[in-house]
Amino acid sequence: MIQDFVLLCAAGMLVSIYLMVGQKALVVAIRLYGLQSLLLGAVGVAMGLAEHRTHLFVTAGLTVALKGIVIPLFLLRVIDRVGIRREIEPYLNVPASLLLCLGLTVVGYRVSLGMAGASQGVPHQVVGVALSMVLIGLLLMVTRRKAITQILALLTIENAVFLVAVGATAGMPLVVELGVSFDVILAVLVLGVLVNRIVDRFESMDTSRLSNLKG
Amino acid sequence: MNLLLATLAAPLATAAIGAIPGPRRPKEAVLLGGLGATFILALATAGRFLAGETPAAFSGALRVDGLSALVLVLTAFVGLLSGLYSVGYLERNERAGFVSAKRRTELLALVPAYVAAMLLVAVSNNLGVLWIAVEATTLASVFLVAFHNRDTSLEAAWKFLVLGSVGLAFALLGTVLLFASGQGVLGQDMSALDWTRLLAHAGDLHPFTVKLAVVFALVGYATKAGLAPMHTWKPDAYREAPSPAGVLMAVGMMNCSLYALLRVHLVSKAALGPEFSGRLLLGLGLASVLVATPFILVQWNLKRLLAYSSVEHVGIMAVGFGLGGEAAAFGALLHMAYHTFAKPVAFFSAGTLAQLHGSSDFDAIGGGTLGRTPVASGLLLLATLMVTGSPPFGLFWSEMTILKAGFLGPHLAVIALFLAALVVLFCGFFYQVGRLVLGEGPGLVLGEGPGLVLGPDAGTPGRPVRPERLDLAMGTTLVAAVVAVVSSFYLPGSLIALIRAAVRVVEAGT
Repeated sequence: MIQDFVLLCAAGMLVSIYLMVGQKALVVAIRLYGLQSLLLGAVGVAMGLAEHRTHLFVTAGLTVALKGIVIPLFLLRVIDRVGIRREIEPYLNVPASLLLCLGLTVVGYRVSLGMAGASQGVPHQVVGVALSMVLIGLLLMVTRRKAITQILALLTIENAVFLVAVGATAGMPLVVELGVSFDVILAVLVLGVLVNRIVDRFESMDTSRLSNLKG
Repeated sequence: MNLLLATLAAPLATAAIGAIPGPRRPKEAVLLGGLGATFILALATAGRFLAGETPAAFSGALRVDGLSALVLVLTAFVGLLSGLYSVGYLERNERAGFVSAKRRTELLALVPAYVAAMLLVAVSNNLGVLWIAVEATTLASVFLVAFHNRDTSLEAAWKFLVLGSVGLAFALLGTVLLFASGQGVLGQDMSALDWTRLLAHAGDLHPFTVKLAVVFALVGYATKAGLAPMHTWKPDAYREAPSPAGVLMAVGMMNCSLYALLRVHLVSKAALGPEFSGRLLLGLGLASVLVATPFILVQWNLKRLLAYSSVEHVGIMAVGFGLGGEAAAFGALLHMAYHTFAKPVAFFSAGTLAQLHGSSDFDAIGGGTLGRTPVASGLLLLATLMVTGSPPFGLFWSEMTILKAGFLGPHLAVIALFLAALVVLFCGFFYQVGRLVLGEGPGLVLGEGPGLVLGPDAGTPGRPVRPERLDLAMGTTLVAAVVAVVSSFYLPGSLIALIRAAVRVVEAGT
């Protein structure tokens, strides 16, 4: 029962990243990321109940509070300040990206088959979903131009890693998890500061303008 | 108080004090005192290790073995050099009116913070702590790359942070998967991520999960080390970072990333045999050496040239570790030590040239700098001799050790290609620096007659060159040069003992 729920949430996270790839409005992409983080929090709570590990509730709470609410709000404020709402034409168009995503999902699933016997209790499909999300996050990162989209892609990859941590190992040790969360928050803040500086300087957050350095 | 914790606390406290705005002189004194104390404490920690103890803290999450002790001492040494140069660098910029008080505070806080994070990497035994520390180094250094706040600095900082974060996300996935692979045997405590425990139970880990983990972790930490093809942030970041930060990235961070790579490699070696991760390291190392070749030949900027040299050297060390065997490991670790001594000279003299000429682009500096800024140019020439691995300097011997081990091993074709690339790199680096230092410059093309050629590298005449002075930055460069030259002929016995202890860790895991 709980396993099915975990699997459902993981599938929801996968759907959210497909939706992210499929559209261009930055506000929607940020909200999708928030939704994805809430699903990750739900996975954490479910695993906490199933494995009777209280510290999973702490990490799930952190995930919901920070990644579900604080970071999306912060990013929404950044794009508000910048006044840019839509991703311009990506390097790779949407249908082609989605097709590639499909291929990457198959790859992720195939690789996860090798772990079938390893993870405790949780179906290896969760790892498959996470690996697919890592690959799709990379795709998103190299085919989109807006700085915010690149940050979202990075955060999605991070979420995928946490999905492995919660789903396949019933949670990293609390100290490590706290340290990692702290670092992720700092990284987002630093990225936000850089986006602000880039916008001030280039009057755009199109990262294809950042191409003076070559050779 | 625990000596190991004191070693980590000293630079952290220095950074905290450095972040408080205040008058210049006392703050600079704090920086130098703090980094000096850090170096002494690191030496003391390594001394404890050599005396037979195993300094540790937090129930084994931090632990000093031979490899840790070596990287710890080398990093603290570079940290002290960088601190000394930072003060001189600020003084020069102050005189030229470049750097505001706010920027000064930034540098005085971030340099020791960066050092503290690197030292934490060097003593991490727990792979989770290791990851957190490597991420901390990234966050501490990104504003150093953006320091000058030019268009190009922001571009470099953005690339550095985004690429580094992707790499670190990969490394985190690798760490999580390693944790997952040991679920059945190691349990779910913090100590399940201890490298010593992973190594002791390597045979019981789930093999496929370890394989997956090793691929992600190696690629992730290789991004931080700047191994090709994940090296693309390096030339941008090195060009934009101020020289004292550049040397921390090029030497300190490189050693620490190699430390992380080695920890993962050793777990993989124990669990899957030496072939799997060894071949990966060999491939990444060879790719780095090959990729650096064309970019050094067509380079247009002095600091980017140094960055590609750093891609080359990290490649050489990766090849050494990838080959496996005691001789190759010894060569690679010796290379790490010699590189740590030689590279600062190159960075500091290049930084001085760039400051005196107002740019680090070859075109803007113009040829024949030996006539205009003889001391810095001479030091750069000396550094070139050392960094390219010319005999009789240290890097020549370490490269020879690795090559010899390689030719005696099974990967002959790889080593032949590697050697060919090294030769081209040697010539390319010499050609570039020779053109800059000895080539015809604006001061030398005043002659007459049909034989006169105004070469493409004649530079932009008329750019005022500030005269050289024996300030703290120049003094630091001279001290670094003396250390580098002397170390080529005489390594202190305790340093050799540390290298041997590190070889033992790489070979036997203890």
